[in-house]
Order: sequence, then structure tokens, then C-alpha cells
Amino acid sequence: MSRFHPLTWWLWAALFCATLLLANSRWISIALVISTMAVAFTQKKSSPWSQTFDWALRFAILAFGIRMMIAVLIGVPMPGKTLFVLPQVTLPDLFVGIRVGGPVTTQRLLSGFDEAILLVALILLFATANSLSNPHSLLRILPKRFYGLGLASVISSSVAPQAARAIVRVRNARRLRGQKSRGLRLWRGIALPVLEDSLERSIDLAASLESRGYGYFPSPTRYRPERWKFNDTMAISGAIYSLLLVIAFANSTLLIPILISFFVLTPVLAS
Amino acid sequence: MITFSNVSLIYPNSERTIVESASFSVNEGEFVLLMGHTGAGKSSVLKLINGLVPHHTGGILTGEISVAGRSTRLLKPGELADVVGIVGQNPTNGFVSDIVEDEIAFGLETLGIAPDVMRKRVEEVLDLLALASLRRRQISELSGGEQQRVAIAAALVTNPKVLLLDEPTSALDPIAAEDVLSILHRLVHDLGLTVIVAEHRLERVIQFVDRIILVHGDGTLELGSTTHILQNSPIAPPLVELARTLQLPEIPLSIREFRKIAPHLENAMQAFQPNSVEKDNEKVLTMKKVFASYQDAERTYALSDINLTINAGEIVALMGRNGAGKTTLLKAAVGQAPITSGEIDISGKNPARLNDQELISYVGYVPQEPTDLLYGHSIQEECELSDRDNAVLSGTTLKMYSELMAIPSLKAHPRDISEGQRLGLALSIILSASPKIVILDEPTRGLDYEAKKVLVANLKRIAHQQQRSVFISTHDVELVADVADRVIFLADGEVIADGTTRQVLTASPAFAPQVAKALPHTQWLTVAEVERHIHEVK
Repeated sequence: MSRFHPLTWWLWAALFCATLLLANSRWISIALVISTMAVAFTQKKSSPWSQTFDWALRFAILAFGIRMMIAVLIGVPMPGKTLFVLPQVTLPDLFVGIRVGGPVTTQRLLSGFDEAILLVALILLFATANSLSNPHSLLRILPKRFYGLGLASVISSSVAPQAARAIVRVRNARRLRGQKSRGLRLWRGIALPVLEDSLERSIDLAASLESRGYGYFPSPTRYRPERWKFNDTMAISGAIYSLLLVIAFANSTLLIPILISFFVLTPVLAS
Repeated sequence: MITFSNVSLIYPNSERTIVESASFSVNEGEFVLLMGHTGAGKSSVLKLINGLVPHHTGGILTGEISVAGRSTRLLKPGELADVVGIVGQNPTNGFVSDIVEDEIAFGLETLGIAPDVMRKRVEEVLDLLALASLRRRQISELSGGEQQRVAIAAALVTNPKVLLLDEPTSALDPIAAEDVLSILHRLVHDLGLTVIVAEHRLERVIQFVDRIILVHGDGTLELGSTTHILQNSPIAPPLVELARTLQLPEIPLSIREFRKIAPHLENAMQAFQPNSVEKDNEKVLTMKKVFASYQDAERTYALSDINLTINAGEIVALMGRNGAGKTTLLKAAVGQAPITSGEIDISGKNPARLNDQELISYVGYVPQEPTDLLYGHSIQEECELSDRDNAVLSGTTLKMYSELMAIPSLKAHPRDISEGQRLGLALSIILSASPKIVILDEPTRGLDYEAKKVLVANLKRIAHQQQRSVFISTHDVELVADVADRVIFLADGEVIADGTTRQVLTASPAFAPQVAKALPHTQWLTVAEVERHIHEVK
């Protein structure tokens, strides 16, 4: 289904991550969050690893909430229009310049929002790459001298999708046990079997690779080489061009339409 | 081909020796079965042969193992990849690619075989395992039997001299299992491949193998001819037990052999009609015109027009091939699989509308992996948590557990006990909420005959004495013959048969238990029934 080279989605995500970080612009972040979701949901397949995105989305929302809460509660005094005032906690002299509570200004809220939405965009970009390409396909293209690296990256990149599936399974089973625990206890209960499951799968995969001689023989050959095609070049050059634009014109909202069109060009090329 | 000389193996944190000074050799072109109780060390012995034990898993090995003249003590599994192929217990965990053809080619790629040779080999193996039509398919979309065949193809493609398989049929329905085993049989005969299989379901493999390695569990291994080992072994398939019961002079290994040595039996027993008790009890589970669709496909139904009822005090088995919709049906019964139309009713309630606390007092569900239910650090903690979750008197779950089986040790971690004990623990947690119906999804995967006997006795007690319903989905024909009152047969999401166990099992040759195949003109299904009859006659 994915007509791209296994590396393309990853490169594409990495380049747009760099673009985001360099631009550090609220509107670019928001625009990319929306387009990532559009890309991820339109490209979604029935493959086992594609469920990662849903979980990443939940995680991103959680991260966003926490970052915003911190923005409201803790921070250095900032100018701007005061929206409301929270009761201030007096801290020992050690924490000079840090305040808990106190007046919340628009400036403070907006800077918190900028960082939070950037975080969300980065998480979703990574999740898109993770959910659109089979983590195992990286194994086949890595040269032999990266054997250890390949194995480690495959195991770590396949943990997320496997855990996502295991969580659903265990949670359903748990419901039928009438488990009353909430909060930490509940998560301990789910985390244990999920981690065990992921670990077992990773060990099985490593054993399978080992017993099929992965990394042992001098020069591996290719059955159907994963060719770097014209579309891959197009997708990556779009991403590189976006990065260059951001470097050249820094932080201009006029860039957004161009960035978005390069961004959504990729799934069009993939299909 | 494989030689063990004075081999001993011990794991660092284990109190018992897995293998103790074992010496034997397996010849080229032999088909050998590794047999033993759960946890006796079958998998360890299998993995010793390609060096995964101790190189991958740890463990202390003494003695010498040689495979095709190479020592596994000195060489790592990867360096034996060209002579030994291995298919693990869960082949899906070991798949590297998502496309059938790429997965098969992977082994050749790592060995650095030239592309033109590679094409030829892949083609040969695709034909050998009848996978040619599936070559461009996604592996995750295939059925269990097809995935198993892909795993075997991926191991065979490098032309190994030895093929090792760990429980290759335990997840498969009888027909898929037969396919896989007859392919192995052909490989042994045509290519002179040496095949070693670890398997619990003896009734499926016994007729194909040349010799058996019996793993006693105390560290000793015994290699002998199939008949010799089965004559005295504590573990035996129903056919062998039948022969023992009838005191036949020889141990038959296949149905055909049995019929040859015991031809006079059929007529003598023909008159016997076992009486089946018809129960007319309260209805516990009813499904009316239930449809459910797959999540992604548009018009195909995972369940199509399902109508069934299950009464109190009745054990009903749900059978059918892999992918027939068994798990979806069970999940729908507990309200976890969305249905598109129809009615599901458990004692007057719709399970999808009940909250979790209410649900457990109506229906208990033991999932395919009982560990999914468990989260305590010890059996004691697990039972206390269960008492609290189910709001019952403290000690209820533990008492329930001790009624089911001998409790290993209160301090033992639920992950360290045997598979049968774990299933018992999960079952007692479910039972302590006193549900009206207990549902078990494929409970006998990985259970040996002993553990299965315990399960059968317990399920019968739950249903017949406590008047609960038991609904169990399984591929295990022998278990169904032993335990079920009624069988519902599912094919492609539809109920195609619903009748007494005897009617359904004897009607289908593939799903008939060994006793019914051996004595086709009688109505018997299990050795126990034959035994009872012999007693009565005396």
C-alpha cells in the first residue's frame, strides 16, 4: 500500500519537525497539527501499526493540557493584560523570580499555548510516520554495519503499536473482571501485562532475526530492492524546500499556504 | 544429523535442571516429536538444537550438541541459519515484513544469496507450501493456518537440513492443522528434511512421526520409537488410551491401524445407544437475528443472522474454522463487539447496556490470554483484589480456587505458575462474581492432557452442579467430546449446525474425535464412555 521507500515517511517527518522548531510560529504549528491529522486519517490503513496515531493523539492532548496548566500556574511574571488573578503561593527565597499562582496575563497564556501546540505538532508528526510505515521494513534496508542500531530501532519503534493493541485487549479483559481500581492502581494493572506482552514480542522478534542469520553473513542481497523513486524525491524535496523557506523568511504567516501545500502533497504522491 | 552427547542444561534462576546428561542422536530425514507436560522443557530442548538456548536466552550448558557436524556450543544461532530453520510458538511475533513474498525472501537476503537464485528458491517454496496465490497479500490479513505456512516457508527457503517447530498446530483448527502436518510429512519424505516438532495435541501428530523424545520433566530425556514410548507413557492420545482400555495387543498409531487390529469391535458395540439427556431449563443467553460487520470492510458480515439460545446448566461448545467469527460472537455476548442489528439477551438484560459492575454478575469471560486478567504480585494478592473487585466476602476467591485445583503456593507470582494453574486462577476470579454464564475463549491452548482433565471436571461441576451455563469456543475436538452437551458450528459468520455434541461431531469427518473415527458405527465419542460401557457389560 505504502508506495514510498520505508525511509521517506521518517525523513519527511524529521524535516517538518525541523521546520516547526525553526519557525516556532503559532500559526504554522496550528496549521501543521490540522494537516497532520488530515494526512493520518485519510491515509489510515487496517494494518496493525496504524492504530498508533489514535493513541498518540490522546497522548498529545494530555501533553497539551499539562503544558497549559503549568502555563497558568507556574511562571515568571509577564507583562500584558491581566485576565484573572490566582491566589499566590509564597515560595522560599531559593526560587527567586518563579511564581506559583498570581495574575494570569494574556502574554503568559499565549506563550504557554505556543509551546504546547508545538509539542502537539511534534508528537503528531512522529506518530504519523510511525503509523504510516511498517517499522519492520526499516530492518531490510539498513546496511549490515548498522545491525545493532537497526535491531534496537526496530524493537523500539514497534513497541508503540504493539502496546497500543495490547492496551485495548487488556482493558477490555479488565472490564470483565469488574476491576474497581482507579488511577495509579488501574494503570499498574494494565501496564504490567502490556509491558510483558511487548517485551515478549520483542524477544521473539530478536530470536527470529537471530535464527535467520540477520547480521551474520558478509553481504546481504535484495530480493525486491526498495527503490528510491521519483515520488520519494518529490516528497522529500517538498519538505526540504519548506525548511529552506522557513530559514530564509523566518517567521512569516504568508508561508503557511506554501508549507501546507508541500505537506499535503506528500500523501498525494504516496497514493 | 543431530547429536546430543552428555548434554545438561540449567537456567541460572531455576531450581531444577532442565536437561540432565542427555545423549541421543536423530538421523537425517527423521520426523521426531518432542512430547512432555507443560513446562517440562520441550521448548528448551528445541531451542538447544539451533543454539537459541543458551546464546539467546541464557542458561548454562555442558556437553556437546552437534547439528550437521557443527557445534551449537561454539556457534551462535545466526551462524547455523543455513542448516537449521525454526518456527516459533507465535510465528506472527517473528515476522519481519508485511508481505508474504518479502517475508519468505528475508532469510535469503541475510544469507547473501544472489538475486536470480533467490527468485527461484522463493518460487519453489511458494509452490511447496501452496502459497503462490497469496504471494502479494498482507501477512496480517491471512488466517492462522496460512500464517503458519508462511512461517514454515520462511524457515525452509534457505534449504536447511533441520526444521524445528514449536507447537505448530496449537492455534489451528483441525483442518488447517492437518494441512500443515501433511506438508511436513511430505517434506520429510520428498526432501529428506529432518523435522522436530514440540506439540501437545498428540492426536494430531502421532500418525506422522517416526520417533518420540519424551521429556520427563525431571531432566531426563527418552528417545524411542513411537509405539515403544506410547506403550508406557503417562501422556497418550485418545486412540492409544482406547487401545489400552480395550487391551489390544498392539498400540495403533492411526485410525487405519486401529481398525486393522480391532475389526470385530464394531459389531459388538453397535447395539449400544448412549442416552443423551435433554434438558429443558431456563434460558440464559439468547441471540436473535444478530448481525455484526467487520470494522473496515463495507458489506461483509463478521456475524450473519445468528440465532441461538443457551440454557442454564448446559455446556455449549462453539466450533468452526479460524476466522469463522467465533471470537466476535463471544465478544458480542459480553457486549464488547458492536452488533449492527439483532437482539442479545442475558437473563433478561442486554449486556451492552449493563455497566461493568452489573455485567460481571451476569456474565464471566475468560479471555484467550488469562494473564490479561491478572495483575497481582502473588496468588494471595490476586485473590484478595478479586474479593474486593467483586464485593464478596474475603476469602471467597481463594476458596473457589482451592475447589478447582490444588493451589501451587500462595506466595507464587501468577506469571510463574503453570498454564493450567493460571487458567484456574482466572476462572476462580470470574466465578467469585457468581455469573449466570461463563464464557471461555480457546482455553486449551498450551494445556497438556492432565491440565485438560482438570478443566473438564471443573467445567462440568460449574454447569451441572451449580446450574450455570458454560459457553466455550475451541478448536480442540477431544475437549468438546469430553465436556460439551451441545455444539454450535460456525462457518463464515453463520450458524451451520446446532445440535447435541454427538450429532454434530459424528456428522463431520474433520471435526470428529478419534474414538468416533476409530469406532464409526458406534455412537461413542470418548474413551471414558467406552470404559463405562465395558464396566457395565462386565
